[in-house]
Amino acid sequence: MKQPVQSRQRILDRIRAATPTAAKDASQLADSYAALPRAYIRRGSLSAQARVELMIQRLREYDAEVVECTSAELADAITTQLAASGRHLFVAPSGTPNEWLVTSAWKITGLEWTIDHGLPIDEHEIEKAEGVVTAATCGIADSGTIVLHHSATEGRRVLTLLPDYYLCILRSSQIVETLPEYFSRCQQPPALHPSDKDLSLGTPSLATYISGPSATADIEMTRIKGVHGPRILVVIVVRDN
Amino acid sequence: MTHAGSARVSLDPQFAPSFPQAALIMLRNPQLRKNVAHAIDVIQAKRGKLVVEKTDWQELRSAASAIRFHVLDNLGAYLEQFESRCIAAGGHVHWASDAAQARQIILDLLRQANASEVIKIKTMTSAEIQLNPFLQAAGVSVYETDLAEIILQLGDEDPSHIVVPALHINRSQVREIFARTMGLKNLSDDPKELTNAARTYLRQKFLTVPTAISGANFLIAETGTVAVVESEGNGRMCLTLPRTLISLVGIEKVLPRFQDLEVMLQLLARSAVGERMNPYTSLWSGVTPGDGPQNFHVVLLDNGRSSILAKTKERQTLKCIRCAACMNTCPVYRQTGGHAYGSVYPGPIGAILTPQLMQLKHAQTLPYASSLCGACYEVCPVKINIPEVLLELRAQVVNQERRQAGRFFDLMYLGLRVANLIFATAWGFHAAQRMGRIGSRFFTRKDGWIHSLPSIGAKWTQTRDLRGLPKQTFHQWWAERVKGEK
Repeated sequence: MKQPVQSRQRILDRIRAATPTAAKDASQLADSYAALPRAYIRRGSLSAQARVELMIQRLREYDAEVVECTSAELADAITTQLAASGRHLFVAPSGTPNEWLVTSAWKITGLEWTIDHGLPIDEHEIEKAEGVVTAATCGIADSGTIVLHHSATEGRRVLTLLPDYYLCILRSSQIVETLPEYFSRCQQPPALHPSDKDLSLGTPSLATYISGPSATADIEMTRIKGVHGPRILVVIVVRDN
Repeated sequence: MTHAGSARVSLDPQFAPSFPQAALIMLRNPQLRKNVAHAIDVIQAKRGKLVVEKTDWQELRSAASAIRFHVLDNLGAYLEQFESRCIAAGGHVHWASDAAQARQIILDLLRQANASEVIKIKTMTSAEIQLNPFLQAAGVSVYETDLAEIILQLGDEDPSHIVVPALHINRSQVREIFARTMGLKNLSDDPKELTNAARTYLRQKFLTVPTAISGANFLIAETGTVAVVESEGNGRMCLTLPRTLISLVGIEKVLPRFQDLEVMLQLLARSAVGERMNPYTSLWSGVTPGDGPQNFHVVLLDNGRSSILAKTKERQTLKCIRCAACMNTCPVYRQTGGHAYGSVYPGPIGAILTPQLMQLKHAQTLPYASSLCGACYEVCPVKINIPEVLLELRAQVVNQERRQAGRFFDLMYLGLRVANLIFATAWGFHAAQRMGRIGSRFFTRKDGWIHSLPSIGAKWTQTRDLRGLPKQTFHQWWAERVKGEK
């Protein structure tokens, strides 16, 4: 095998030779980027009410179950959903508000919670859980997409992946109409690492966009719900605006 | 064995038969044609509805095309930016000039991680460099995790589509493969039950195999982010559970900024599977303590891409985001399926990508595997003018061919040189028309069509009829009309 360093240089040399019109410096590159046409729709036109309704409609089209409640009714709504799920072993991320953690005192018996504070809880422990409850970062109504940036209330990535049942709490103030509106809300993209000095701290380095439960259409294009991710997705939309 | 094609065609362009030969084998397989047509009808119907709903579809296409051209124009700068951000975030970046180097880099990384097993997310790039057979020969067990890829791997089948690679296999064929290889005698052919069988089969692999290989849909230069778009969740499993992750990515896959995903993601799922958004999109940069693989490598693959970049008309080939809309709409692909293209990249995009990636001499017939109807260009979300590139490649094939020894007196090239002389002057052209009308009388039947021609002309008439020449040329008709008016 040739030295990797050499192939890096060789590939870059070939690219440079192939692109004589490339920008000469960073500012020229930025100007050329800024001049790109972007005539597509960036801002939605729906009222706040219609936006939430569209989000709910799209989620239901993906076979997700959706219920609505006010902020005051949230704890009750969570209890009702968990009781209806018929499951008992749940996990939740470390930042989950206490009032979400429904206990046996709340109408359901035999409910067990594991709070994920990272290690020593490993994947096998999460795998044992029958369900997971988390918050979300954003909802995109146009495509019915739930955005997770994996903060302390959303949990690490496997948490919302291994359990078969996923209850997601989405506030109506987090819902935008279009995908570009979500990206413009991401002033600091979920991709920056704390060790990267010229970029701001505290921005998440991970993101997952979820549009309905896990699905496949690989066999005769027949859509099957639930391959490897959660088979059941329930969303509680909390009216807070 | 259940090969959906009764005869197998190599997908290595070095060994594959020519497109017409391979197509003939596929056309004689009615089951395969039925399976392909069914799958394509479903995708096309879904895509059609969702594209109409998107009122800014053309504006999104224009933006996507411009972004991708801008990236290609400045590829060096963006790749270096991606590399430095990825490393700053704790990732490692490797550069591979060709397939052999990429395979060796990946094997070395697996050896460093003491990996005897590896789980994989569907990646066309790994199929391009024929990674699986190489790793298996080196003693590494490879487990595909995408449902379609499991079907192919367990059934010892080849992919025939870049998004739904097993679309040529129907449910009863899948049942047979799973029943035989998983030892499930009582399995039914219900897609739900088959999917569950795959879920159970893979669950332990996800939880125990500590090394994964993925491709990537996009790289973000600004942030060093890698993006993987998928449906089943097998991707998320491979991206989060293992300790070591290796992502093999073509150098053209980079986007300038995080925000550019707002264009690409709106186009990709609608074009690929007819969904508003695919179920799961994963974005990560480098490593994140406490979440996912802590040992992360990106292998950037050139393998012929930089030479495509150097050519003006062909460069647009690299704008491709691998959505497969072109093959879903192609009247040729619909009839032949993917294997006829003799490459892991089938359909119209394959017809232009394969000859360029694998050297033209291995794919002489692919640029002709098209009627040039233009449907592929019309649906392409990044506006690749595939017919334009096909014509350019055809010109290259002809130029190469006519320079070969002994071709100078080839009937076709001789004829073309004579035609060149005749059509260069108006009187020559008119004389040829007169001669042609006289000559064609011998072959034109009563219905006004020529059904068979002798000699070299038979090459045309053996597959199609030719309309006989009209009694008058347009020029003659026009001259008479003007005379009559006076």
